[in-house]
Amino acid sequence: MSEGTSTATAAGTFPLTSRRRRRLWGRVAVPYALIAPVVITIALILGYPLYYLVRLSLQQYGLFELIRHKGIGVGLANYRSVLHDQIFWHTLVRTIVFTAANVVLTMVLGLLVALLLVRVSRPVRLLLSSSLVLVWSMPVVVAVQVWYWMTNFENGVVNYVLTQLHLGSFEQHDWYASTFSQLSMVTLLIVWGALPFVAITLYAALAQVPNDLLEAASVDGAGAWMKFRDITLPILRPILLILTSLSIIWDFGVFTQPYLLIGQSKVTPGNFLMSIYLFEEGYFKSDYGRGAAISLLMLAIVGVLSIVYVRRMVRIGVET
Amino acid sequence: MKRRSIAALLLVTVVAAAVAATTSGATKKANASSITVWLQTDAQSGWADLVASVNQKFQSDHPGTTVNVQYQSWGDHLQKFDATLAGGGGPDVIEMGNTEMTKYMAAGAFADLSSAKGSFDNSANWLKGLAASGVYKNKTYGVPYYAGSRVVTYRSDLFKKAGISKLPTSTAAYAADAQKLMAKSGKKGFSPVYIAGTDWYFAMGFVFDYGGGIAAQISGKWKGLLTTPKSIAGLTAYKNFFATASRASKTTDESHPNPYDVYAQGQAASMIGPSWYTCCVGAKYKGSTSQFVMPGHVAGTSMPGFLGGSDLAVPITSNNKALATDWLKDFTSTSSEKTLQAKGNIPNATNLLGNSINERAASRSWFVPTAKHWVDVENGNILRNMLAQILTGKLSVKQAAQSASDNIASVLNQP
Repeated sequence: MSEGTSTATAAGTFPLTSRRRRRLWGRVAVPYALIAPVVITIALILGYPLYYLVRLSLQQYGLFELIRHKGIGVGLANYRSVLHDQIFWHTLVRTIVFTAANVVLTMVLGLLVALLLVRVSRPVRLLLSSSLVLVWSMPVVVAVQVWYWMTNFENGVVNYVLTQLHLGSFEQHDWYASTFSQLSMVTLLIVWGALPFVAITLYAALAQVPNDLLEAASVDGAGAWMKFRDITLPILRPILLILTSLSIIWDFGVFTQPYLLIGQSKVTPGNFLMSIYLFEEGYFKSDYGRGAAISLLMLAIVGVLSIVYVRRMVRIGVET
Repeated sequence: MKRRSIAALLLVTVVAAAVAATTSGATKKANASSITVWLQTDAQSGWADLVASVNQKFQSDHPGTTVNVQYQSWGDHLQKFDATLAGGGGPDVIEMGNTEMTKYMAAGAFADLSSAKGSFDNSANWLKGLAASGVYKNKTYGVPYYAGSRVVTYRSDLFKKAGISKLPTSTAAYAADAQKLMAKSGKKGFSPVYIAGTDWYFAMGFVFDYGGGIAAQISGKWKGLLTTPKSIAGLTAYKNFFATASRASKTTDESHPNPYDVYAQGQAASMIGPSWYTCCVGAKYKGSTSQFVMPGHVAGTSMPGFLGGSDLAVPITSNNKALATDWLKDFTSTSSEKTLQAKGNIPNATNLLGNSINERAASRSWFVPTAKHWVDVENGNILRNMLAQILTGKLSVKQAAQSASDNIASVLNQP
């Protein structure tokens, strides 16, 4: 350190006192030191498995290899076989449509509920937000079981209520008879479960919208829609972007709800979602190398799908 | 002060947890002679008392040894087992369905029990088909546990009320009886014969009854047989029988819901399934419940039933193979098998066979193609999907059979 000081002095520039140096060093090092534990933890928790997954995806790794704990390197053969699998492409398209439907429904309904929360009276708001929290606190597996009972073929309450309301004959209606119907049930369950997080987060964000701005706009003759479009929405944008990209990531890889609600005995290539395709290929067929290749492809696809949002998010971060 | 006391409390808790962890680790080590057994839930609901008494005997013969029985479900036990093969901590004894054995034997997942075979009760007379499912390249890996055929469990009171004086001797007669039962009941959602739509074990019985089949190996290559005229006739007969007799979901399997639950709720006059279904028909109907063999389409014959069965194996990863083998001997002893028989199962050896309805039903039976990849056909739900397509009318019998047959052939012909 003293050497550096002497060089600086020799160069004739403003002499750096060792104290200032230390402060500069601190300014550079402290943030790194502070972030180091997180980086190291993530590297250990995510990095190693990721490395292992990549290695696995380049190996033939079936039951035989599993028992011997030793795979056979096969290069990119697993990727080739997945990319040449028609089921993979059909599943991909189905999953993208499914994800889009889920994300749009979640975001739109979440925003509407959040706007409602701002407007309603205190007791109603309390009731609404506590029921949202209750939904949130329900474990996924329990929720699936409840939905399964409600939509049960023999004596589900949904069929009973729809029939009692004279909306047609839903006596013994099979909600899991077609792929569309199956996935619609799953979408209902997922959107219902995701709504609280989105609605409560957006409600919190709505508190940031300055009231005087809205009032001023009203005085200037702006309507409700205009105020929403030109004041509320721009302020909410960063939060909306984060929620949307998180929803895309969650919904694209969702497994528990579709697998349990549709049921193992009804899962076929005709109704696969990506995560279920991965599970069937990797675990049921005990082809772990191929499973690893599928999961890495999924990772890449999610990356591409959410890149637009992440980029915009980063840009907003730079602007502010 | 307050903060410091909280910190102290936290420290005490952490230390206590660490101590507890080490002590529990220590007890585990001291108790090295414990074995873990994975049985299917069938044992839990059907013959948990047998499991308990075998364990008691085993523990008194092997002092200081504990047996830890963990009940598994058919749907996911293989995935769990795979995980233990990779990571350890797996069972010392595992129950395997007879259709699941080949894949695992081929991969070397089980210990070779050939040398111990002679010391098992009745091993010279093991049921041929069941014993064969536990043999790979002339080595014995699986010990036959029990077999089971599928029978009709019915309510004699309802049959009587509907004026059925004599049990049906052909499929057509049973269908006619079903109509009578339906007319008499009139309840919504009532099934004269509860059949889960995608119960392929039952449906394939029709295929075999008409002389069809699922797949056959022809000069080293598997060929799907569901498209043959005989198989199509069988599938069509199943479709018609289902339409007449069952109000169950066309897309559900035979455990969602359990047929005996539907029966116990009074929503079925009869149901198809393993003979131990009598266990759970409910106190109300216990007295009026009886069983008969499912009749075939030719009067006087029985319909071929799926000969299901289980083997018990010792995974290669077990650290207590000798103890595990000893436990297997107790669990498949003559007295254990007789208890299983009394519960309505078929015992594992020919010299123990009796003349129950279940055992009579087994006289005409069918089995799945013995191919390494058959289990992938089962797990891929190819047959279930075909049945759902046929029953819902999404595809014609021919179209559905064609697509399933092609799928099966391509799965079985994998390297």
